[in-house]
Amino acid sequence: MNNSLLKLNQVETYIGQYHILQGVSFEVRKGEVTVLLGRNGAGKTTTLRTIMGLNPASKGSIVFKGEEIQTFPTYTIAKRGIGYVPEDQGIFAGLTVEENMKVAIQKDNEETAKRMEWVLELFPDLKKFWKKPGGLLSGGQKQMLSIARAYVNENELLLIDEPSKGLAPIMVEKVMDSIMQMKDQTTIVLVEQNFMMASTIGDCFYIIDDGRTVSHGTMKQLKEDEEMKRKYLGIA
Amino acid sequence: MNKFADKRPAIIFLLFILLLFLLPFVYESRNLLILLTQIFIFSIFAMSYDLLIGFTGIVSFGHAMYFGLGSYSIGIFMKRFEPDMTYFLWAVLTTIALTAIVSFIVGLLTLRLKSHFYAMLTMSLAGLFLVLAEKWRTLTFGNDGFTFRVPELFIDRTNFYLLCLIGMAAVFFGLRRFVNSPLGRVLQAIRENEQRTASLGFQVLHYKIAASVVSGVLAGIAGILYAISLRYVNTSVFSMDITLDALLMTIIGGVGTLAGPIIGAGIIEFAHDWLTGLAKEHWIFERWIIFFGIIYILVVMFFPQGIVGTLRKIAWKRKKKSYPVKSEQKAAG
Amino acid sequence: MDLFMNLALNGLATGMLIFLLAAGLTLIFGLMDVLNFAHGGLFAWGAYSGLWIYSKTDSFLIGIIGAIVTGFILGIVTEKWIIKPVYGNHVQQILITLGLMMVLSEMLKVIWGPNQLTASPPDYLKGSWEIGEINLIKYRVFIIIVGLLVFAGVQFMLKKTKIGLVVQAGVMNKEMVQALGINIQRVFMFVFMIGAGMAALGGVLLGPYSGVIHAGMGMEFAILAFIVVVIGGMGNFKGSVLAAILVGLSGSFMAYYVPDLSLAVNMLLMAVVLIIRPQGLFSAKG
Repeated sequence: MNNSLLKLNQVETYIGQYHILQGVSFEVRKGEVTVLLGRNGAGKTTTLRTIMGLNPASKGSIVFKGEEIQTFPTYTIAKRGIGYVPEDQGIFAGLTVEENMKVAIQKDNEETAKRMEWVLELFPDLKKFWKKPGGLLSGGQKQMLSIARAYVNENELLLIDEPSKGLAPIMVEKVMDSIMQMKDQTTIVLVEQNFMMASTIGDCFYIIDDGRTVSHGTMKQLKEDEEMKRKYLGIA
Repeated sequence: MNKFADKRPAIIFLLFILLLFLLPFVYESRNLLILLTQIFIFSIFAMSYDLLIGFTGIVSFGHAMYFGLGSYSIGIFMKRFEPDMTYFLWAVLTTIALTAIVSFIVGLLTLRLKSHFYAMLTMSLAGLFLVLAEKWRTLTFGNDGFTFRVPELFIDRTNFYLLCLIGMAAVFFGLRRFVNSPLGRVLQAIRENEQRTASLGFQVLHYKIAASVVSGVLAGIAGILYAISLRYVNTSVFSMDITLDALLMTIIGGVGTLAGPIIGAGIIEFAHDWLTGLAKEHWIFERWIIFFGIIYILVVMFFPQGIVGTLRKIAWKRKKKSYPVKSEQKAAG
Repeated sequence: MDLFMNLALNGLATGMLIFLLAAGLTLIFGLMDVLNFAHGGLFAWGAYSGLWIYSKTDSFLIGIIGAIVTGFILGIVTEKWIIKPVYGNHVQQILITLGLMMVLSEMLKVIWGPNQLTASPPDYLKGSWEIGEINLIKYRVFIIIVGLLVFAGVQFMLKKTKIGLVVQAGVMNKEMVQALGINIQRVFMFVFMIGAGMAALGGVLLGPYSGVIHAGMGMEFAILAFIVVVIGGMGNFKGSVLAAILVGLSGSFMAYYVPDLSLAVNMLLMAVVLIIRPQGLFSAKG
């Protein structure tokens, strides 16, 4: 119980007049990769955005490191130690890779420098295009930049939204590989449609359907449960 | 809702008009008459502005240009030709034609733009008319302006008072019909949600232009009456202050209500008159607009529906509250 | 040649003053999506407060600093009390900033009287330098230098400092900036403050240049600044300086050759740009 890092309890979120999340509850344990699964439009992205405070929750609680954060503004949530990699990567297109990283860095200290070095080793492409505007990077490189930006601060939790979306298979493998390597240092919540990828990196899963968490378990259980896969994920 | 309740505001308004109509015959005060005339004229102007901002959500900062076109049309006709009814009618026709054409072109060119741009562009266009009036000296006598004689019928203050009163009433009822017509309903739908209205298959731009033209023509009429009341016209009719007057009256009175602009015009003109009187006591009252500026900002911030809108809301809430209480009493009795 | 130089210098100086006003307008719009109709009021306040301090202290430099500080303070107050409460509602923003404009210029009349005030440059900036045939009026050169320095300074801030990068990033993607742990509200306030300071600087420099200041000058210059912002591309800082020089020069030459049309030409230019290329003449993508 004490290794719980993030806990959502019956979270509900409206976007405009639409009731998108109608009761999402899940728990993320330290050091694990938790995968959120579900059909398109089920509310996975909104769940991440709600954690970040970008679409604030109207009901329920979000507890991060023992503190209720659901009413905090986005920047405070980020400062508490949550890194966010949005679905569209959120790259500042007009800024170079270097400048993108500069904007992201919160504390200019040794630890950050170490992390920077590590992440650049992981993504040599970023180093190669260090002075290139973010908007001119390929989809995969943008994904790497976005992950690097989230990683470079001492974040205890990374929220990564569909990193494999729109990438070539070889790129997907690369990104997957890098997430595997980060796994040792940080806790991750991953939204992923690519089941192969999800099942390889994930430790446990939650399925969201129509704005509610409907099922959860370990990845191993899910792999064996053909019925569940068919019902919620459309995979035979 | 029963039919009578729906008609009630109109009946109150009619009684109010009747009262004002009788006023000059029972109470003789030249100053009051002139002040009320001014209020009627600005009511027309503010209502034309309300049609834009309150019923279509368009913010124009150049409404003075239509007002000024009307003022100069009548001034020039009266000065160049004979000050009689024939030329008065010609001036009215010219005003209608000019304001319709200008508002049509302005609408066509700019209503596609986002609200910021529209406000900015209309402000600049009004500025352009101001410059034009200053430079085209042979026609306008520049900054100094010119005085002119008016048709005999309007020389009598009471006659002119009645004309303006009737004009105001006609515009009020006319616009009331207009905004409740199918066309007006579409305009209100545009204000609420432009995209949705467009996706229902309405040519949003056409409707906006229609509103812009109606509003422009009415503002021109107000300009005519204004110039006649002063028997003088100069470039100030194109100035930002005229647009600001309309804005203050509409916002403080209540946007999208039509009655609001009339109340707003009344309040501001009365206060203006009163505060100018006080200026003899203390110079600060000469800067009366500052009070209204502050009130205006507070209204925009806290009561964006203005006086009439806020009163309506309170009344509506009270009604809603009182119904269950009544039924409870009935049940108890 | 002398005439040409004179007109060009005049145009450049006017262009720089417009730039100082337009720069803040365009930065604020780009970052916050707010078109500040009260920006001209800040300009006029810079002119009055700067001139007042200048006359009290007998130091033009202190006057300039005083004007900038006035701009900073008014900028912070405006952002906090006027803009923030109506954030995200365009119509309310437009209405409220225009109301503020009205109040600001009336306040000037309350404090300094409704009549126009005269201003002249300090002795060391009076007169002109003669270089061969050419006559360089000192004060105009001074304005141009200050304008260029401000441009270079802001450009340096945007490109080389963290806060500048954050401002640029905020223009591109506000949400992501916040998700990276940055309080965008503070960035807004900072930009508003800088923009107001630049406007006030422009105002105080205008006084000795035109010889007189009056409460209506805010509105007059605001319209020019709107034209510049539209031509340069809303939110485009570099575009605004180019457009300001263009408008300044065209104004100066037109005023000499076809005086009646100078403002009209600028306005027509703006109308054409808005209709044909609403993103501005100098806008790059991204």
